[in-house]
Amino acid sequence: MRIKIDYKACTGCKQCEIICSLAHTNTVNPWRSRIRVYVGEEFCLPVIAGPYTEAACNSKGITMVDGVEVDACVVCRASCPVKSVYKEPDTGIPLKCDFCGEPPNPQCVQWCAPNALTLVEDT
Amino acid sequence: MFGWKGKLLRIDLSTHLIRTEALPPRLMKEYIGGRGMCARILFDEIDPRIDALSPDNKLIFAPGPLTGTGAPAASRYIVSAKSPLSNCVSSPCCGGYLAANLKYSGYDLVIFEGRSPEPVYASICDDRVELRPARHLWGKTSHDTEEAIRAEMKSGDGLDNWALNAMGIANIGPAGENLVRFASIMADGGRAAGRSGLGAVMGSKNLKAIVSLGKGHVNIADVEGFRKAVMAFYQEGRDNGELRKRRRYGTWSLPGRANASKSQATYNFKEGYSEAFAKYEDPEVIRDLIRVRDEACFACPFSCGKRSRIKDTDYPLTAKGPEHETMALLGSNCGLEYMEDICRANYICNELGMDTITAGAMISLAMELFEEGHLPEREIGYPLPFGSTNMLRLLNEIALRQGIGDLMAEGGVAFASRYGHPELFMGVKGMGIPAWHPQAFDALGLQYATSNTGGSHTKSTMPFYEGRKDPARFVEFTKKDQDYISAADSGVLCWIIYHGPLWGEKLAEWLTYVTGVEHTVQGMDIVGERIWNLERLFNLRAGLTGKDDCLPPRITREPRVKNRVVQLDRLLDEYYASRGWDSSGVPTREKLQELGLEEEGAYVL
Repeated sequence: MRIKIDYKACTGCKQCEIICSLAHTNTVNPWRSRIRVYVGEEFCLPVIAGPYTEAACNSKGITMVDGVEVDACVVCRASCPVKSVYKEPDTGIPLKCDFCGEPPNPQCVQWCAPNALTLVEDT
Repeated sequence: MFGWKGKLLRIDLSTHLIRTEALPPRLMKEYIGGRGMCARILFDEIDPRIDALSPDNKLIFAPGPLTGTGAPAASRYIVSAKSPLSNCVSSPCCGGYLAANLKYSGYDLVIFEGRSPEPVYASICDDRVELRPARHLWGKTSHDTEEAIRAEMKSGDGLDNWALNAMGIANIGPAGENLVRFASIMADGGRAAGRSGLGAVMGSKNLKAIVSLGKGHVNIADVEGFRKAVMAFYQEGRDNGELRKRRRYGTWSLPGRANASKSQATYNFKEGYSEAFAKYEDPEVIRDLIRVRDEACFACPFSCGKRSRIKDTDYPLTAKGPEHETMALLGSNCGLEYMEDICRANYICNELGMDTITAGAMISLAMELFEEGHLPEREIGYPLPFGSTNMLRLLNEIALRQGIGDLMAEGGVAFASRYGHPELFMGVKGMGIPAWHPQAFDALGLQYATSNTGGSHTKSTMPFYEGRKDPARFVEFTKKDQDYISAADSGVLCWIIYHGPLWGEKLAEWLTYVTGVEHTVQGMDIVGERIWNLERLFNLRAGLTGKDDCLPPRITREPRVKNRVVQLDRLLDEYYASRGWDSSGVPTREKLQELGLEEEGAYVL
C-alpha cells in the first residue's frame, strides 16, 4: 500500500499534520508530524517522511514542479541532519511514516478534506 | 492545561521590556479567549477616551482555546485595540498561519503597549521573544516585508525552507506607517485583519510586523471524542450544498446572489443592482478568469480562500481574493466594470495595507462628490467619475498621503464634511458599510447600525438562513446572532463556516472536548451577551451614545432599492428592548447584574 499525493488538490490546511501528531503523540504539534505541507503560491506540496539518512547530500539538483523551481530539500522525503522537519523537536529523534499501524489506516488520508491524499494498492 | 496555554505575553514597546504572565482563570471561564478576553483587557487596562493613535492604546493579538487543536476552521486570531476610525472598541479577525504559531509558541494573548522609539518588528519563536530593528523595512509593501523578514530569519536564525514556510507573519504596509485611519494589518500573503484601521495603531506604535514560529504543542482533554466528532463534522460538511459551494467558489458565489436580491452595493449605494456585474453572476466565470488555487487557512477543511492572478506584467504576483466585499466596494460601488481592474485595486490595497471596504467607500464617496460638482477636478488633479480607473492612482495617493489622499486618509466623515456633504459618506460610526445594501434586508440595516465596531458585516450574520428574513423575528435573531458571533470569535472559530449551514452547538461541543470543561450552548449565549455588553460599555465610556446607532440618510430616507427605506427608529426601540437596554441604548442595571458586569456598569450608569 502507498499514499498517493495529488498535490494540485492540496489547499494547505495542514489538517494532516495535526491528526498525524495527534494520532502518534496524543498532543497536537505539527513539528512531531510525519507528514508536512509546503505551502507555495501556485500549489502546495504534501511530503511524507521517508527513511532516515545520516548524511546531508551536497549534490542538489534543480527540482522543477509545474515550471516552478522548488528547493530539492523540500521535495526530498528523507529525515536528515540538515532538515528541520521529520524529527522530534526536543530530542531530534527522526520520524518516519508508519501508515498508522497494521493494517494500514493512515489518519492523514481520512482527515484530508480536499482528497489530496488517497490510500492505493502498489502497482 | 488543555486548550489554553495559560500564558499571556506582554511587550512594552516603549521600554522594550518583555514579560509573560499567567492567564487569569476568570478570563478563561467568563470570556473563553480571543475577542472576549480582548474586550475584557481593553476595558480594564485602557481609558476608552484616549486618542487611539497615542501610546496609551494597547494592541492585542489573541488566538483562542480552539486554535491549533485541529478543530475545523479554528484558524483565526482576533486583533483588538481602540479603533482610530470609529473610536469604538474593535476586534477584526484574520486567518492564515499566525494564530496557530502563537499558540504553539505558548501564548493565548500577546499584548503590545506603548510606542517604540524606533521601528521594530516582534519575533515570537517559543520562549525566544525579541524586538528587532525594522528601520530598513519601513516603507516596504506587505509582500516585500514578508520576503525581507524571511530572508533575515534564514541568514540570521539559520532557519531552513520548511521552518520559513511554517511561520506566520502579520505586518503593515505604507498605509499603516502613514497612519491612514483605515489601514489594515496584512498577514500571510494577502489575508487581512482589515476593518477599523488597526494597521494605523500598529504604525503609531512603530511596530512594522509580528512574526511567529512555534514548535510547542497544544493538549486536548478528550482526544478520542474529539477525533470522532471531527470525522462526523467532515461528513456533515461534505453533504452540505452550501459548504460545497463555499469550497469551490469562496465568496465568489455572492455577487450573483446579491444582484438577484437587489442588494449589491452600486454607485455609492445609489442602487442595489449592478449591470456590470451581470456577467459575473455565474461564479464559474470568475473562477475561470482569475483563480490560481484554492487556499485554506490553518486547519480549515473548507478552503474558501482563492488565490488569484491577472495577466498584467505590472501585477506579476498572485493575490488573495478579491472577496465579495472587495468586489462590491471597490468594484460595483465605484462603477468598475471589469474583474481585472477590481483585482488591480485589490492588489494595491493589499500591498499598501488598506482595508478594501472602507477604501472602496472613500473612493465611491469621492466619485459622487466629483460627479455632483462638490469636489472640483483641480483639487484631485484628474477627473474621477464613477467607473474611472483613475481610482487606482487615488488609492496609492491615500496610502502615501499625497495630494487629496492626505485628507481622504482621515476617513469619510472628515473628508465629506470638508466638501460640505457629510450625508454622502455611506458609513456608520465613521466606518464604511459593507457590500450588502441594507434596503434589501431591514435586518442588515439594524446590524450595521448597532455593531459595536462601526458599519461591519462580521459582528452578526447575514440574514439568509433559517427564516432570518422574517420581519416579525429578525430583531430577535439579530441580537442572538451578535451574541453567537461574539462567542464564536472567542473560540476562535471562523464564523463564515459556522453560520447558517452548521449553525448551533459546534462551538460548545469543540470547547468541551478540547478543554475538558463542560460548555453548553446556553452558556455560550451568556458569554456572547456578556462580551457584547462589555464592548457596549467601552463605547459608551468612550463618549458614544445611542445617537451613534444610526445609518446614512440615503438608507433611511431615500427609497433606492425595492422602493423602501430602513425604518431604523422603530427597529432600534425593539432592539434595545430585546437587549434589556433603556430607550437611549444604555444597558440597564438589571441586565448588567445578570451578566456579572455591575461594577463595570458603574462607569456609565
